[in-house]
Amino acid sequence: MKKSFRDFLSELEQAGELARVKKPVDLRDVSALLSQSSRALLCENVKEYPEWQLAGALVTSRKRLALALGCPENDVALRFEQGLERLIEPVMVEDGPCQEVVLQGKDVDLTAIPYPLMHVYDGGPYLSATLVVSKDPQFGRNLGSYRLMYRTPTETGIDLVSPSDMRRYYQRQLDQGKPLEIAVAMGVHPYEMLAASYKAPINMDEYAVAGGLHGEPVPLVKCKTVDLEVPADAELVLEGEILPMGWTADEGPFGEFSQISGDVKWNPIFRVKCITHRRNPIFYLLQMPWENDWLAAPVTEAAGLRALRNASVEPVAIRAPVGSCGYWTLIASIRKRPGEGKNALLALLSVAEVKLVIVTDDDINIHDPDDVDWALTFRVQADRDLIVVHDARGKHIDPSIKSWEMGKGGLPTTAKLGIDATIPEGVPKKLYKRIEYYGQNRVKLEDYL
Amino acid sequence: MSPLAEQICRELKAKPQQFSEIADAHRDAAWRTFLRTWGELRENNVLKRDEDGRYLVAGD
Repeated sequence: MKKSFRDFLSELEQAGELARVKKPVDLRDVSALLSQSSRALLCENVKEYPEWQLAGALVTSRKRLALALGCPENDVALRFEQGLERLIEPVMVEDGPCQEVVLQGKDVDLTAIPYPLMHVYDGGPYLSATLVVSKDPQFGRNLGSYRLMYRTPTETGIDLVSPSDMRRYYQRQLDQGKPLEIAVAMGVHPYEMLAASYKAPINMDEYAVAGGLHGEPVPLVKCKTVDLEVPADAELVLEGEILPMGWTADEGPFGEFSQISGDVKWNPIFRVKCITHRRNPIFYLLQMPWENDWLAAPVTEAAGLRALRNASVEPVAIRAPVGSCGYWTLIASIRKRPGEGKNALLALLSVAEVKLVIVTDDDINIHDPDDVDWALTFRVQADRDLIVVHDARGKHIDPSIKSWEMGKGGLPTTAKLGIDATIPEGVPKKLYKRIEYYGQNRVKLEDYL
Repeated sequence: MSPLAEQICRELKAKPQQFSEIADAHRDAAWRTFLRTWGELRENNVLKRDEDGRYLVAGD
């Protein structure tokens, strides 16, 4: 049976990576508690919300990311890539736990779910652990993850500033003066969250990616009020529509996954028509930036592996450093043939909004920043080994691209830098022979301590 | 509007504030009550923003 969000919590607890908070917790204090915890937390007693528990800080380390993916820590990109290579279509089921409670009409009240305030400069309480489902008559179903800022008991802001398939769907509806129906599932397994984060080709169903990661189909149920499907085992689902108003309502700031507090943006409004949830549901609070960044890394890394293989370059290892939020930088080592340092750069610079790429030979341990620095120091000539791409697609939350200079709804561009830190053609490899300590294979320090 | 909504209105007329500052000032209210009140302010379309993201209410 496919793993659920609750199964993942159990795995974390069994691994000693989850602590239970039994004392009553005010929702206004939860963010601070999560930020101080080295383990995932499950708050069993949330004040004012007796039916709910609240879980957070689930994937804030590489160890817990590896637990989520069920693989060794250095294999997370390969593991995600395997999911992409064996797509398994979802299956429809008649009913599921996510619809044990159904609230419609005047019973729709977003204040009845534990809607948390996370960061000091946020424009309001936010839902961030969202799997948002939408559909387009031509392009089909799409999954993504979008933040929702509380506005009223039936309305939220939704951040649709960045380029995405759903933004395209919304624009197509907006052009006809129509709303876009969406469903927002929360409390789903990390596989579904990772699949939603993956920038799949527009005709690829991300539920099939999640199925590939699970190794079995994701069971889906039909929504109650919109023509969409959500994971049957989700904890909570919001159904409704994004109003055909364009980018006109204030939204944000929100503590961004870039570790920056962000800015006020102009976005549309999501009107909620129906709320469904489990009996005694668990609310998932995904706190920025680390949880998002750890979850982003394997998605970016897998996209990089695909780009390299499509360019007929053999990757050895790849890393999207969490310092770049698992999103803006890729460091890859390759088994290089002449010229392929540059080919690898060109391929990796095409990945999403990645703006810095470093490519090394396979003798460099890219998981060791000092080793990467060494390659940058001794294998790079700045007049020969740098590639700069101007005016590529960018992301608003990078302050260096000055997105505030654009009009409402505008899309930013960015420059991208590639650094070929492989051994230059014509330089003998023997010049990079590393120091070896005399007797290091014979003498053991522990024999002397 | 409710008395709490009227009070927040007066406070935001007097001084623009971050959402968290408003929430801090009204921790004596239950969170759900506070959120419903915030919804009233939104529905009445009285909230504006300054360039630092603070909320404000324009004067009479």
